[in-house]
Amino acid sequence: MSKSNMFKLSAIGAAAALALSAGPVAAEEVTNVGTPVTEKAIADWDISVYFDGENLPEGSGTLMQGEEIYLAQCAMCHGEFGEGAKGYPKMLGAPKEEFIEAAKSGEDTVGIRGINNFWGHAPTLYDYIRRAMPFFAPASLSDDQSYAVTGYVLYLAEVIGWTDEPIDAEFIKNVEMPMEEQYYTDPRPDVDNDRCMKNCYAGKEIEVKGKAVIGDVSVGEVEKAKRD
Amino acid sequence: MSDKFNDTQSPRVTAAEEKVASEGRRKFLRKGAALTGGAVLAGSAGAQAKDKITDPIEPPRVKQLGRGVVSVPYGKPSKYESHVLRRNVEWLTADTIASISFTPFQDLEGIITPNGLHFERYHSGAVDIDPKDHRMAVHGMVEKPMVFTVEDLKRMPQTSKIHFMECPANGAMEWRGVQMDSMQFTHGMLSCSEWTGVKLTTLMEYLGVSPDATWFYAEGMDGSALQRSIPLPGAKDQFGKPVPDADEIYKDIIVAYAQNGEALRPEQGYPLRLVVPGTEANLSIKYLRRIKFTDKPLVTYQETRHYTDAMPDGRIRQFTLINEANSVVTYPCPDKRLKEKGFHEIRGIAWSGRGKVKRVDVSVDGGRNWHEAELQEPVLSKCLTRFRLPWEWNGEEALVMSRVQDETGYVQPTLQQLKAKRGTNSIYHKNAIQVWKVEKNGEVKNVQVKYV
Ligand code: HEC
Repeated sequence: MSKSNMFKLSAIGAAAALALSAGPVAAEEVTNVGTPVTEKAIADWDISVYFDGENLPEGSGTLMQGEEIYLAQCAMCHGEFGEGAKGYPKMLGAPKEEFIEAAKSGEDTVGIRGINNFWGHAPTLYDYIRRAMPFFAPASLSDDQSYAVTGYVLYLAEVIGWTDEPIDAEFIKNVEMPMEEQYYTDPRPDVDNDRCMKNCYAGKEIEVKGKAVIGDVSVGEVEKAKRD
Repeated sequence: MSDKFNDTQSPRVTAAEEKVASEGRRKFLRKGAALTGGAVLAGSAGAQAKDKITDPIEPPRVKQLGRGVVSVPYGKPSKYESHVLRRNVEWLTADTIASISFTPFQDLEGIITPNGLHFERYHSGAVDIDPKDHRMAVHGMVEKPMVFTVEDLKRMPQTSKIHFMECPANGAMEWRGVQMDSMQFTHGMLSCSEWTGVKLTTLMEYLGVSPDATWFYAEGMDGSALQRSIPLPGAKDQFGKPVPDADEIYKDIIVAYAQNGEALRPEQGYPLRLVVPGTEANLSIKYLRRIKFTDKPLVTYQETRHYTDAMPDGRIRQFTLINEANSVVTYPCPDKRLKEKGFHEIRGIAWSGRGKVKRVDVSVDGGRNWHEAELQEPVLSKCLTRFRLPWEWNGEEALVMSRVQDETGYVQPTLQQLKAKRGTNSIYHKNAIQVWKVEKNGEVKNVQVKYV
């Protein structure tokens, strides 16, 4: 192992040196723990797809095939038209412009979210569907089926129009997600409270604006639940 | 409405706070205050001392024998504590398999969350994994890709650290107004444990991670195969912008196999999980089966559709990883009302994802005047800290609240301040000051207050 190539961790280096000077039984470094493998050995596990489409598999499907899978295995939870059902998430949210308008006017936008207004990159949609859906049988779709149904979900979400083209890695990489440019990385801390100790409202009256409204989620001493 | 919330019900440490410079004098005054407290307590009991009390336990326990050893080989709490339970809110999620439950902080003391009360969050349910069959791969931009068994990892140099674990949606139901009349439900997506395992940096050193690796991602082996990207020094997002805190987060990460002295519980990812101290708990991948070092983020489902924060300009914040400083009064609270006038100790917990708690202030008049509370040692980094303040409740309405400042100087914000910047749609990272209203009858209500 060439040390120069390794991640620089000076603190750890120092700790190791100290251990060595402590006596003959002290080890300088960890050896002979774990099983060395090649990348090939874990290739089957490595199904993660990057936002830019890296590691999308071979294969393809069509929207027709996707519709069939969706109606049989997805619609009962996500709605026949992607409108959501029984409290499960929508595929089709409000159009981007409407979503942004609602956000600006302070309306609730939690209930109008979908793939078209709250998802940055199509390749990770493929990744998610293949690893986790349908919910009752995760990781049961083949690569081809996953292409087909990912395409169909993008169609339901009005991100793409109907097409007879094969849905494959190239296709998914080139899908433009409406909201991609709206994402930006953490700018916090974004608030700056000061530590006032005395007379912080300078004579202004304090007003209680709201009390808890959902009484039945109080735990309190009325709780009757028993440990089994 | 007239302003009834005066600071007349003064916490007793007021005297100790009057800009006393020397720590010795401070201690002396606190002691004095406590003594006064005792005197007042005895005095306020008022009535004459009884010269006869009856033992309520019949027949007396001193005339009976109890259970033998190992009659309960794995001990459980007393049956009289059966109300201390994790709970969920049914309407929050469509089913319990992709859902969350809450830790009952109203009934907990100290900083360690008992393992059976650690909140749960599943995306595809809790699973049982035989450690004999569990393998964890570490690969990608490393010199020696490797697969480890749990036993292998137990041979590696070990670390143990106490850290909080908090879902960033803790308090999320309260952005638009008050909903939950319960401390368990406003702050219970939180826990704190001693985590034991191998430091990520030990593994990085051992496998020879390339200096060009600027991210890694971790993946679980439950049905959701949850995966999150975690920044390393030099991390850039998918647009080429730097990711904050990348120099700090990875240093504290543990690949953990134990929690509070015993193996992880299945609910917490048995047999292996990642613990990423100070950050949103979703990063602390359970049932850990793979770590891959890379030079870019995945931008997974959890990093685009969830755990991202919708802003009032229509944009969406991503990689908001740190849980900023937060605190809450656990007594009194809606789940633990006041029963009598007189002496009470206001108690609570404070924590920060950016380091240690520096101080906690408590107000009983809705935030007009504040008093510095006493912190219970140990005060550890990215860990719950207990605070206390003695209080004489005179039976009048009171607005009780706490405000933490962490070692970076950051002061816990008011909800109004957060809303001014982030609106009410961001779901995550609501670390605002929590106000409890004590009614004249001792009931405690979750309220929101103008200016707070
Ligand atoms: C039994 C109900 C159920 C079925 C059937 C189901 N899903 Fe889901 N789906 C869920 C749940 C629950 C979630 C949210 C999981 C989470 O975030 O923890 C989800 C999330 C999703 C999402 C992300 C939604 C979002 O908010 O952006 C997509 C996409 C999706 N499912 C696609 C599918 C597809 C495609 C199928 C069929 C192959 C399918 N689902 C079948 C329950 C279901």
